[in-house]
Amino acid sequence: MDIDLEGIVIIVGNYGSGKTEVAINLAVHQRQTGKDVRIADLDLVNPYFRTREVKDALTERGIDVVLPPEKYLQADLPILSPLVSGMIRRPSGLTLIDAGGDDAGATVLASLADSFKDKTIQMFQVVNPFRPFTETIEGCLKIRDEIEGASKLRITGIIGNANLIDETTAGHIYDGYGFVRKLSNKSGLPLLCIAVAVNLLDKIDTKRFSCPVLCLERMLTLPWM
Amino acid sequence: MGKVLMKGNEAIGEAAIRAGCLNYFAYPITPQSEVAEYLSKRMKEVGGLFLQGESEVAVSYMLFGAAACGERVFTTSSSPGISLMSEGISYISGAQLPVVFVNIVRGGPGLGGILPSQGDYLQATKGGGHGDYKLLVMAPASVQEAVEMVMTAFPLAEKYRNPVMIIGDGLIGQMMEPVEFPDHLKSEPTNKDEWAANGMDTRKSDTPNIVKTLHLDPKILNELNLTLKAKYERMKQEEVRYEPYNIDSDYQVLIVSYGTMSRVCRTAVDDLKESGFEVGMIRPKTLFPFPEKAVREAAGKASCKVVISIELSMGQMVEDVERSVLGQRPVEWYGMCGGDIPTPEEVMDAVKSLV
Repeated sequence: MDIDLEGIVIIVGNYGSGKTEVAINLAVHQRQTGKDVRIADLDLVNPYFRTREVKDALTERGIDVVLPPEKYLQADLPILSPLVSGMIRRPSGLTLIDAGGDDAGATVLASLADSFKDKTIQMFQVVNPFRPFTETIEGCLKIRDEIEGASKLRITGIIGNANLIDETTAGHIYDGYGFVRKLSNKSGLPLLCIAVAVNLLDKIDTKRFSCPVLCLERMLTLPWM
Repeated sequence: MGKVLMKGNEAIGEAAIRAGCLNYFAYPITPQSEVAEYLSKRMKEVGGLFLQGESEVAVSYMLFGAAACGERVFTTSSSPGISLMSEGISYISGAQLPVVFVNIVRGGPGLGGILPSQGDYLQATKGGGHGDYKLLVMAPASVQEAVEMVMTAFPLAEKYRNPVMIIGDGLIGQMMEPVEFPDHLKSEPTNKDEWAANGMDTRKSDTPNIVKTLHLDPKILNELNLTLKAKYERMKQEEVRYEPYNIDSDYQVLIVSYGTMSRVCRTAVDDLKESGFEVGMIRPKTLFPFPEKAVREAAGKASCKVVISIELSMGQMVEDVERSVLGQRPVEWYGMCGGDIPTPEEVMDAVKSLV
């Protein structure tokens, strides 16, 4: 039961669902299997904790990171690098797109509609049921509809990311898995994987899950850690 | 209800609702816009009101008006927005109205940058607007503490009939931590009848409450200023909050630091302790009133050779630290204010270089 992605893969979800952390870790994981991996930071709405903060760590691992020009990296301006549309038109290996949060963050995807035309695209919704607005199945479905409306694309699967950061317990992971299973049944969307922090792995019985587990190494850390 | 994972900005918005505040006026600005985003959804759910003003100046007078009517009301902004509100803050202070302000500080001066800063220390604690007024200023170091400070800010603002400001740097607004909303911090305004201009019938009173800031008679204006001064003195007696850290050790250096910066300092104190170098820390939780006595006593400890103020500003807190230390020890400064936050290693080097 492994995660095997290729082509264009877009990561969406509500604010703070852990999209960026999941996207980065997916990139690293898929790179380790020997694929060519590119990741584009399309988060134009959130000014902090973006893929751009771990550019060097990703580049060292052989992952191609597509960002706005250097001088605008710390700006809260909606700058979309022209490299992004180019990379979508000519995808190779795995092309990961880390979109911004909510429908507002997904709006930028609609502006790439021309580039997406005739391409097979997978778009995954990251869900953390311990976050506001996604603690119910209805809340998650509402966000799915809003993101699909804004992006003009269909969500094709779910990634479970139940966590309370440092305070996550095995119980949270099991509850979170049950939640995304239910969401998957209700929405008809397949569950790609669930994310589990590396330090929790030995406390978890992964045989309880019928989907792959993405081992999550926290890369967007705080300055006192 | 269990804990939820929230961004500081979202948690601040939710905390206000849980405290019983259903009126929010604001204007978006990075890095605090998520408060408005969050409350634009949540206020509808709880039957409250979010109104986006046409500018921060307009917002400050919406707050004035709502507070004058006896409504719990608050706003959030970031540095340049607070500068624009400063006129209204002075008026609100002069009219003795309870309003809660949250400043998620970004780098300055001018437009500066959108990354974390503590460069509004002086603006918050020494004025900003005109006239003899002071704000009660609290500075959280975690998302949970931001929640608790927002929830306590409303009754404090009413107790003193004075604006309260919560000042957090950009990281406090943007980072996510697990939080809960303590039920015991929910409160109701108790002294509304003393000041709210909400109708004689409602208050069952014969004397109208007049809300105004124009006092042309010098004696009356002087009286008002004496009343305000007495309030600030009372705050100094009753509202000082701080957290001592590693203060029982025989520390050679005393750090004074608050907010996000204090969390980096805490890691540095722990790491230095492991290498046998003892450092104490006082973390002010209220910036006005400043924990003068705690800093003075901690600086006076026999083992302490030097005091250092560590901030995300160019030493704006140093004067308050010096004022507290009263010349017993030299007072130094270390910090940055471009948006980067010093690492624990950089803090350790700065501290070690002092002795």
